[in-house]
Amino acid sequence: MRSYLVRRLWQSAVTLAGVSVLVFVILRVIPGDPAKMLLPEGAPQSAVEELNRQLGLRQPLYVQYGIFLRSVFRGDFGQSFQYRSPALQVVVERLPATLQLTLAAMLLTVAFGVSIGIVAAVRQGTGYDYAGTALAVLGQSLPNFWLGIMLILLFGVTLRWLPTSGFQGWRYLVLPSITLAAFPTALVARLTRSSMLEILSRDYIRTGRAKGLTERIVVLRHALKNATIPVLTVIGLQIGTLLGGAVITESVFAWPGMGKLVVDAIFFRDFPVVQTILILSATVFVLINLLVDVLYTVLDPRIRYT
Amino acid sequence: MRQHASESARLSRRQFLVGGGVLLGAAATGLPTMAQAQGRRGEIIAGVSERALTLDPANHYSISATSVLRHIYDPLVDVTNDSKFVPALAESWRVVNNTTWRFTLRKGVSFHDGSPFNADSVVYSLKRVRDNSKLIKSFVYQDIETVEKDGDYAVNVTTKRPFGSLAAHLTMLGMLPPSAASQEDAFFQKPIGTGPFRFASWTHGDHVVMAANPSYWKPGLPKVEKVTFRFIPELSTRTAALRAGELHVIDRVPPDLVQTLKGSPGVRVLDVPAIETQRWHFQLAKEPVKDVRVRQAISLGIDRNVIIKDFLLGYGRPVVSPIPPGLIGHANLGQKPYDPQKARSILRQAGLRDVSVDWVLMKDLYPKQLEIAQAVAAMLSDVGIKVNIKNLEIATAREHRTAGTYDIFYSGWAHLPHDPDWFLGQWFTRAGAEKLTRYNNPRVEQLIAEGRVPDPKVRQQKYEELQRILWEEEPEIWPYYSVAIYAVSDKLRNFEARRDYYILLSDTSLA
Repeated sequence: MRSYLVRRLWQSAVTLAGVSVLVFVILRVIPGDPAKMLLPEGAPQSAVEELNRQLGLRQPLYVQYGIFLRSVFRGDFGQSFQYRSPALQVVVERLPATLQLTLAAMLLTVAFGVSIGIVAAVRQGTGYDYAGTALAVLGQSLPNFWLGIMLILLFGVTLRWLPTSGFQGWRYLVLPSITLAAFPTALVARLTRSSMLEILSRDYIRTGRAKGLTERIVVLRHALKNATIPVLTVIGLQIGTLLGGAVITESVFAWPGMGKLVVDAIFFRDFPVVQTILILSATVFVLINLLVDVLYTVLDPRIRYT
Repeated sequence: MRQHASESARLSRRQFLVGGGVLLGAAATGLPTMAQAQGRRGEIIAGVSERALTLDPANHYSISATSVLRHIYDPLVDVTNDSKFVPALAESWRVVNNTTWRFTLRKGVSFHDGSPFNADSVVYSLKRVRDNSKLIKSFVYQDIETVEKDGDYAVNVTTKRPFGSLAAHLTMLGMLPPSAASQEDAFFQKPIGTGPFRFASWTHGDHVVMAANPSYWKPGLPKVEKVTFRFIPELSTRTAALRAGELHVIDRVPPDLVQTLKGSPGVRVLDVPAIETQRWHFQLAKEPVKDVRVRQAISLGIDRNVIIKDFLLGYGRPVVSPIPPGLIGHANLGQKPYDPQKARSILRQAGLRDVSVDWVLMKDLYPKQLEIAQAVAAMLSDVGIKVNIKNLEIATAREHRTAGTYDIFYSGWAHLPHDPDWFLGQWFTRAGAEKLTRYNNPRVEQLIAEGRVPDPKVRQQKYEELQRILWEEEPEIWPYYSVAIYAVSDKLRNFEARRDYYILLSDTSLA
């Protein structure tokens, strides 16, 4: 196990180095000039040149990359072009909003996705099953944008139960997390259902029932545990994706998270902020994947890594 | 806000008692606490379309950031909604000669930390923006030669060449305390100005809160205790928040939401002609639009009234000169006619067949731009000109402009300083237009230089003449003057819909 972990960590480092080079190069290859985006429409060319020089963008690419790499190892991701403050600080400031939204959405996903999936599988072919499937189809096919606006109009404007947008406490979290959870909940529900159906037809489940276990224990202890593995993989991937930013949901609810930040940063060619976010989210993604792989061994003792 | 309303209704009796107590106290002691008793009351919450990225008044050209920062900082010169320049921190100013200005400063003004406002503040603020080329507004102030104080309350500014729009630009530059100099980064996290509100807090990406400055130099202002600016870039969300009563005012309402908002209880819609001209500029060094006849044909082939009526639902006005009404230099040169027949005959006479042009749009920047461009493309195909619309991400579109790989570029220009000098100098001089439209006409260039003198009569005359030339040359299509639309809660009193898109609340109160 230990040698496996060391190997995986080493592979992760290589992946991240690759990501850093890719991000760095792609940002500089795509058309668009940071100084021009920072300055107003009618700024003279001399001002554009001067600002680009000030931002260190007139040096050769390999020099820029060298400087970047050296700084990163010192924990310095450079100065944001737009905010004129350290890029890492700009990104970290957005972390609480992103984490809150991700966690809330994931809690909803696990709670509703898994339960709907189990009920649909256990009551296969009944009204519950069809209702669950209908919900799942809706959740997967409603665009976040539309769902968000509808929730705002219903609960914010018409009923006035909840605030329409912003980031000032838990009441503000309700609508965006429901919006964000819709898709992964549907995904998890469908996956849980099919995974449970497969497991429930296994011999050992029949044996369990035959030896007189209650249906509850058969389903929740024996079936669910084994059905969880594919679901866990998907949840892990979803967390990674959500941490990288839920752009549309954040836009609709004016949520000051990382998704909107990274899109704006790409838009304005704020290279340091884009690099910081992508490298951080790549790191989180890699680590969560590793964690999920390790969790497999906990859930299924037959899985062993060497 | 429903909660808010009942709360304030409940509070009113208590406030009445408190107010009465204060009045009694004031009567007893004879102290001038009237202003408080008269009731600076409540909190105005505004929703603006862009997120403020900085609280440094010299380091942005964002309209939303200006809306926020004008409450914290005061400029030397202020500008009214009808583009008159009026005293702010400068009590008066005088043009000594074409390149020398003298500003006499207001006495008895203090910064939020109690330190006095004086000439040192002006010298620091002006030299800073001129010398620090990292600041976004720096390029505007490169013409300043010296900034010298003459006593504590006068400052002389000399410029390298005539800079008639100096006062206009100064309306956009808040004055800073000189104590900021040694620690600017920290200062702009908790900024201090002389403005009607004091900075209270800033949740990055979400909102800025400001509290009334009880010792503001304008008597009786501000009229509310607190002002909060929330950043809500998404239009539908901004609108919903206003309709839900969470906001008192929103900016940038597009024409097609006006009806919805007008139908919402407690909401009023205000509109005012903006100081912005929409402009679709040609790439003048490139075939086929290099040929003035092609540009004329395009101009004649566009029915501007259809754009205003059908796409802007009337929230746009026909253009009669490139400089919008109200600004120095505006002239009535008559509307550009719509005459497809004449357009076709111009092309036929010139032997121009199969004219095809690339029209670059900056994605999602202007309301309805894609629909308008598509309609115009249809109008032009009617006169035999094929239009290829290229709806590109902004940075990419701008690269096309620099490289000159476009024929028409969809753009607009808001004259934020309430003066056209910056616009003309940028777009119609050889150096300015070099990486943009490649416009080059020595006579126009000369008129722009001559129009930089401070004398308004001379400026008006020069600008009228140069606009006549532009009107003939058609280096751009001017489809319409924009209209600024705001939606406000009916609780808001004395809100002025600004022509420069700013939301200014120092004089606004709540019912």
